[in-house]
Amino acid sequence: MNPLETELCGLTLANPLLAASGTYGYGVEYADLIDLSTLGGVVSKGLYLEPRDGCDVPRIVETPSGLLNAIGLQGVGVRNYVRDVLPRLERYRTAIVVNVCGDTVEEYAEVARILEDAPRVDALEINISCPNVKQGGMAFGGDPKMTHEVVAAVRKVTKRPVIPKLSPNVGDITVFARACAEAGADALSCVNTLLGLVIDVERRKPRLAFGTGGLSGPAIRPIAVRMAWQAARAVSIPVIGIGGIATAEDALEFLIAGCRAVQIGTANFVDPDVYARVAAGLTAYLERHGLRSIGDVVGTLEFPGR
Amino acid sequence: MPANLDVPLVSREALPGPYALLTFEHPVIAREARAGQFVMIKAAVAVEPMLRRPFSIMATDPARGTFTLFLKAIGPGSRALVDMRVGETAGCLGPLGRPFDAPPEGTTALLVAGGYGVAPFYLFGAELRAAGRPYHVFYGGRSAADLPFEEVLVDRGDAVSLSTDDGSRGAHGRVTAPLEAWLDAHPGPAALYSCGPDAMSHAVARLAGARGLPAQLSLDPWMGCGVGTCLGCVVRIQRPGEPRAKWRPACTEGPVFDAGTVVWA
Repeated sequence: MNPLETELCGLTLANPLLAASGTYGYGVEYADLIDLSTLGGVVSKGLYLEPRDGCDVPRIVETPSGLLNAIGLQGVGVRNYVRDVLPRLERYRTAIVVNVCGDTVEEYAEVARILEDAPRVDALEINISCPNVKQGGMAFGGDPKMTHEVVAAVRKVTKRPVIPKLSPNVGDITVFARACAEAGADALSCVNTLLGLVIDVERRKPRLAFGTGGLSGPAIRPIAVRMAWQAARAVSIPVIGIGGIATAEDALEFLIAGCRAVQIGTANFVDPDVYARVAAGLTAYLERHGLRSIGDVVGTLEFPGR
Repeated sequence: MPANLDVPLVSREALPGPYALLTFEHPVIAREARAGQFVMIKAAVAVEPMLRRPFSIMATDPARGTFTLFLKAIGPGSRALVDMRVGETAGCLGPLGRPFDAPPEGTTALLVAGGYGVAPFYLFGAELRAAGRPYHVFYGGRSAADLPFEEVLVDRGDAVSLSTDDGSRGAHGRVTAPLEAWLDAHPGPAALYSCGPDAMSHAVARLAGARGLPAQLSLDPWMGCGVGTCLGCVVRIQRPGEPRAKWRPACTEGPVFDAGTVVWA
């Protein structure tokens, strides 16, 4: 029995570790480099109906323990993904989650509908939280009514698990978590990047061509853990924790806070072997604490009464 | 096929100023790397900066299973590497990226280097020597202190033309001045290769275009992952027959690009 095996929305994952959208390409980029079956799942780069060009450069700037990015969802589009990429992923024993984007509610639904006809897609993550696009993205994820509308529209066209990815750039994430659950979501991804700004003081201009960007990495982890914890307490559907995870201890924080699984993002850029390392650390933790399954850790936070 | 390994530093040679030659054990890079390819590397002791940094591979030694980097300590990432002690390790992924193409038959390869951009031309020189192909190195910097690699090239017997912006070493002016002079004096076929600041590579591209010479440029944009997933290091590229330019990651489709395909801002 694999102690890290994780049930999520009816899927059986090898472990609770997934690659976060936008940090792992479509998965195939890493296939020659590491054994993809060491991942519970891969969440694809965000996909619209059509290919997207993305933002001007510079697109990334490193900050203390963080990375600010404005890539702008450059991507191949959902049809090219289904035709060219999915067949190359077929032989890997890892869950394939597709990150679904749209400029309009109708576009989200159309992308989801196209994926419904595709084999091998295990779940849909709904991107209502990208801070680096002018329409869609955070514009939907920052308004509970729009959040509900997008999730409900996707729910209507797919039988696959629907996992909205929430923005941390809101006052009360529980409002959005509940809106998603009411609209028929099967799980939540918490959270996307935090809106940030880095300024080149010599030029008195933003470092990024887009201006603002999304902050990721260990710098945001305590905020992400807090928001994932709040979301997990607000809804009964599973929460997938995301935000600055680079070690087993980082992953455990999210799991203990109530997340059923986690996604690793920026740390992929630092070391592609992060999954094997974190998985080994989780197994060692279970042994040290006399636990049989990683599920026994989930939601075990003893929070002080106050 | 690239490999991700913790690599020990096996030797370290300080060069004048903030420069050093670092040799790491990495059998895959030692065996497979080609000139123009790079590694993503970070000293294990370093916490900040968080991300690995890209560096061109300067030399390989397949028999010893090692490769060498020519580094300049600029920021905290390169500083942590330059300060490494023998036996300490670094996280290292490579070899990555598209190497330089061999020069067309019958041409002389002209290798145009700006500052620490000279690194890949040491390995390229070794490949050209092995193939019996003629080449000439043009090595420029702001001042004499920016040319610490001169001795390494001269020791090997490379033909080198030096230049500095301030005239403190070699020809006074941009590296393209001695390059143009060489081309004027040698009317035979030539192929240009550049690695250095964007302004220099752009000048080499213009010069190649004006003279109808093939040219390849090794570009050095900010890079996050090295494997084509973060899409941070994209360069505007328009290949023959394409209706419009596309953002292409320098890590997987470069860092070496055909000069005529690069769309400059």
